[in-house]
Amino acid sequence: MRRLYVYATGVFWLLVTTVAIVGHGVPEPTGHPPASERLIPLAELARHARPDDCWMAIRGAVHDLGAYLPEHPSQPSVVVPWCGREATEAYESKGRGRPHSPHADELLTRYRIGRLAGEQP
Amino acid sequence: MLSPARNRLTIPLLLLASTAAPVFWALPEDLPPLRSLGIILGWAGCGMLFGSLLLMLRETWLSHWLGGLAGMYRWHHRAGVIAYVVLLAHPLALAADSLPAFPDLAWQTLSPFANGWAVRLGWLSLLLLMFGLAATFASRIPYRIWRWLHAALGIGVVLGLGHLLQLGIDEPVLPLLALAVLLLAWRFIRDDAGLAARPYIVRSATPIADGVVEISLRPLAQPIAADAGQFVLVAFHSGAGFRGCGQFHPFTISSIAGDGEIRIGVKALGDCTRHLQSIATGVPARVHGAFGHFLAGRPTTAQLWLAGGIGVTPFVALLRGGPLHQPTTLIYLYRSETDAAYLRELQTLAATDRLLSLHAHATGEEPPDLASLLPASHDLSNRECHVCGPPAMVAAVRKALCQRGITARHIHFENFDFR
Repeated sequence: MRRLYVYATGVFWLLVTTVAIVGHGVPEPTGHPPASERLIPLAELARHARPDDCWMAIRGAVHDLGAYLPEHPSQPSVVVPWCGREATEAYESKGRGRPHSPHADELLTRYRIGRLAGEQP
Repeated sequence: MLSPARNRLTIPLLLLASTAAPVFWALPEDLPPLRSLGIILGWAGCGMLFGSLLLMLRETWLSHWLGGLAGMYRWHHRAGVIAYVVLLAHPLALAADSLPAFPDLAWQTLSPFANGWAVRLGWLSLLLLMFGLAATFASRIPYRIWRWLHAALGIGVVLGLGHLLQLGIDEPVLPLLALAVLLLAWRFIRDDAGLAARPYIVRSATPIADGVVEISLRPLAQPIAADAGQFVLVAFHSGAGFRGCGQFHPFTISSIAGDGEIRIGVKALGDCTRHLQSIATGVPARVHGAFGHFLAGRPTTAQLWLAGGIGVTPFVALLRGGPLHQPTTLIYLYRSETDAAYLRELQTLAATDRLLSLHAHATGEEPPDLASLLPASHDLSNRECHVCGPPAMVAAVRKALCQRGITARHIHFENFDFR
């Protein structure tokens, strides 16, 4: 068991270091929306309110989260009611009033599909 | 008494159930394979840690049900290390899910700096498990320090559950958190603080060999229930001019009187047991047990007992309890005659009990030559073999007996190393 502990711990730190080096070598996305980004009105947003077709408006940007929803750590009953809606407040005060992490912000940019009509970019 | 097969299977099945139950509850659907694997590994490690926590409890009824305290501790250690390895793989699998397409996201999944308290608590938990296990394997650390370092593992489990709560997974985690705190408190209050133990007082202490004292303990309340061959956990406290170390250590019972008084053999193996060589009459103690079934349920067939040093104590307890009912050969190995506890008494018993054949050997500083000391294969057939002594000697004797054709179910031994 001592040998298993030593090997496992060594391999763990080796892999963490590798992921850190590889991850740091990639330039961070700018997060700026393209100039020609599509404007999505609230009525269209509301049509995507199902777990498998889930759009959410957060901080003025619209995100297609249908593919991500199964991966969200919370229960579906917590997240699904916000599909098809402006969900900034829920995003900023998840759980017990805490905002999502910078990691979540980064993840969110990958699902951005447009800008909520009437919102400033 | 449980059958040997049930003894062997009870704890592995219990661990399997504690591992499978949370995995079944949280089994992911329609997720990428590596992300599913990461989630499964996290819950599997969590479940196995709970099994390991249950196995650290020192209760006579639980040890009886699970086949003995020695087996429980062996599996407590195994389950703890396997759970740790599984939990190390948990964040790596989650990061690997996004590594090919988004290497930066993979690092952010792992990084304690890019995430909130959910990931930070996960890291703290893993680091405490890492530190606690490193201390567990450091056998040179004095026991009084070692036990507190080992307790870091318990804090690691609680922080790991905090990690799940921060992820917003309240439903099964709050009851699990309550269960973890209950198990840790149970262990601390009933076992470490001695609530489960009975009060005794030292009636006498007699040196019986170099670095070995036999301590007689008289019950101050209802005595424990014990049989020859069992061991007890005893903590000696301060009193009568003696400063006790207050820690529970395992000692084999060498004698059980009708009035509940017990005697234990104490060899100076560490700081506390060295200090106990000078114990005085009237020192208060607490006794927890008895545990083990080393010599229980012996058949009427011929026996081979092999004892190394203070490992002769359970055999002494049995012989003091009355004459034998089956032909028995006792091979007693010790360094020198001055180290040989109970030797004169055993020689007297062998002279009066025609079923007992005593072979006492001084081995010096060298490992014993088992090839010449053990009976030949044809003399060992149909014998039940009981081995008690230092772990290295027990391992060597088991190997030698197997080479002589004795199957594992006829070889009985018990390990008292609870670190």
